[in-house]
Amino acid sequence: METYLEAEGLTKYFDGVAAVEDVSFVIRRKEIFGLLGPNGAGKTTTIRMLSTVLAPDAGDVCVGGHSVIREGDEVRKRIGICPQELALYPELSAVDNLVFFGRMAGLSGHEAKARARAVLVGVGLEARGSEVVKKYSGGMQRRVNIGIALMNRPELLFLDEPTVGIDPQSRNHIFETVLALRAEGTTVLYTTHYMEEADRLCDRIGVMDRGRIVAVGTPAELKRQVGDPDRTTLEEVFLHLTGRSLRD
Amino acid sequence: MTTFFRHAFILAAKDTQIFWRDRFGLVLAFLFPILFAFAFSHAVEDGGPPEAAPRLTVVAHEKHGVLREISAGLTASGWAVDERTRQEAVDAIENGEIEGFLLFPEDFGTSVATGGEVRIHVVVSGNHPAAEAVLQGVARAVGSRVETLALAARAVGALEPARPHDAEAMLEALRLPPLTSLEMTRMGQRRHNPANFTLPGYLTMFVFFAAALGAGAIVRERQTRTLERLLSTGVRAPSILAGKFLSGAGRGVAQLAVLWTVGVLGLSMDLGASPGAVVAVSLLFVLVSAAFGVMLAAMVDDLRSAATIGVFASLTLAPLGGCWWPLFIAPEWLQVIARLTPHGWANDAFNRLMLFGASASDVAPAMLALVVFASVFGAIALLRFRFSPPI
Repeated sequence: METYLEAEGLTKYFDGVAAVEDVSFVIRRKEIFGLLGPNGAGKTTTIRMLSTVLAPDAGDVCVGGHSVIREGDEVRKRIGICPQELALYPELSAVDNLVFFGRMAGLSGHEAKARARAVLVGVGLEARGSEVVKKYSGGMQRRVNIGIALMNRPELLFLDEPTVGIDPQSRNHIFETVLALRAEGTTVLYTTHYMEEADRLCDRIGVMDRGRIVAVGTPAELKRQVGDPDRTTLEEVFLHLTGRSLRD
Repeated sequence: MTTFFRHAFILAAKDTQIFWRDRFGLVLAFLFPILFAFAFSHAVEDGGPPEAAPRLTVVAHEKHGVLREISAGLTASGWAVDERTRQEAVDAIENGEIEGFLLFPEDFGTSVATGGEVRIHVVVSGNHPAAEAVLQGVARAVGSRVETLALAARAVGALEPARPHDAEAMLEALRLPPLTSLEMTRMGQRRHNPANFTLPGYLTMFVFFAAALGAGAIVRERQTRTLERLLSTGVRAPSILAGKFLSGAGRGVAQLAVLWTVGVLGLSMDLGASPGAVVAVSLLFVLVSAAFGVMLAAMVDDLRSAATIGVFASLTLAPLGGCWWPLFIAPEWLQVIARLTPHGWANDAFNRLMLFGASASDVAPAMLALVVFASVFGAIALLRFRFSPPI
């Protein structure tokens, strides 16, 4: 399978403390790559460097053949980001949110409206797109959050904990959306604290701890490191790799 | 460059769309200043001081004879004569109750009756030149009339040195007009419309207030990583800052349009001899406020700090900068402090233009000061702004 993203020696310090240190991994085209780790492991900092928002102190990332350091604009054209926060405007309708971010991504007004209609269908909100987002349930707001990331038809989609605090129905809808995107050819980087979610969705998983990648492989390969892959859960693998001590 | 402006305008349009849906924001930006301007314009208009008789505090050791005549003359001339003992008057000055008084010495009546040297003392609290001028004027007027009587007394004394003189009887005998008759004329045929200083004051206060509170919305966008998300779509940081500045300025311009219209049509406000200069000062103050809002967002990390500092700055700078009362009636130290605030420069310019008929060139220093404030606030915002929440 063709490599779509390649991170090499990514390092980032905050106030002299390494948040991410010498992280290297690849994501193949059209795969769902899970990035797992306890709180403070460096997942979000890594995503911010992969998506050109944060400049690495060392290392580089190549996305679709373009360096995030030297060709940031080319990289930004190819990516969509869904942060774990609801990075949208609750006072506006879902349509207005989508059109706004679409226009900021370079679409014309007409294109943005057409794309917003398509995206709303994709995230299952076509019937309520004109309502203001603050009246939505948590799950609906999460779906708008994902929809915004899809406005520029990204080749690589970053989903940072997209299912936090939502009901099973909304979570299931998001799973189906992600799987449909992969089927359409989108590459996905997915972070989550829910191990069963990663097990169900991800083709391969990278486990981070204390700013470093400690394991990469398919769910079955990771389980095999601990025991019988048919009887071992991903959560057992995770605790085996990152320890049982509490994290801040 | 085209993309820069395109992004800035789309961002500003989105913020404006949100602003028009924010009921509290609309009340704060438009309704409050209108209500305040109406209420305080009418309160000042209906108030007592301009209509009431001017008060004149007098210390006299006699309540009869010449002094009674003087008192009657002053009252007939429209003064409210307030008679006190010397100690009471001194205490009143120290308490700030009065600014000065006229002191007629113990031998005043005798001096007039005998044709001796007549003295009236003017006692004024420090640094009240206006009160001093009024009291001096009254003392001179009284003195000039009393001199006539003293002259007559001297003449009678020369003819009849052995006979004690009664000033009151002498007045009657000489049929002199009332001892004191001071004509008072209120300067100007038309009183100033109080809205000419209340509305500009509340306009500056609430334009700044709305911009300062707007900083909270920017901080919220940073916390929810919306700004970061914009950066990841290829929007440049300067475009985002320009968009935020534009939206703040657009909101301020809308406030100006509404408030000046209400002022002119609803409060019969007079923009003075240079309405263009009034508009120019208003627009410059809007730029200062918008830049302050972005600067505040650049300097704080969370919503609570943004709200606290925004409210504190607005409510502190407003009185210091002459939003609640005209600066020219404020003590000198307050006028000096006002020069450190954009409100002070703006209100001083508004007062000059709308109350004293100044021209655009007269308020050029104020306009320059506002440009400096906007530049400094904008530069700090550019240097300090962060697009991501603190780690």
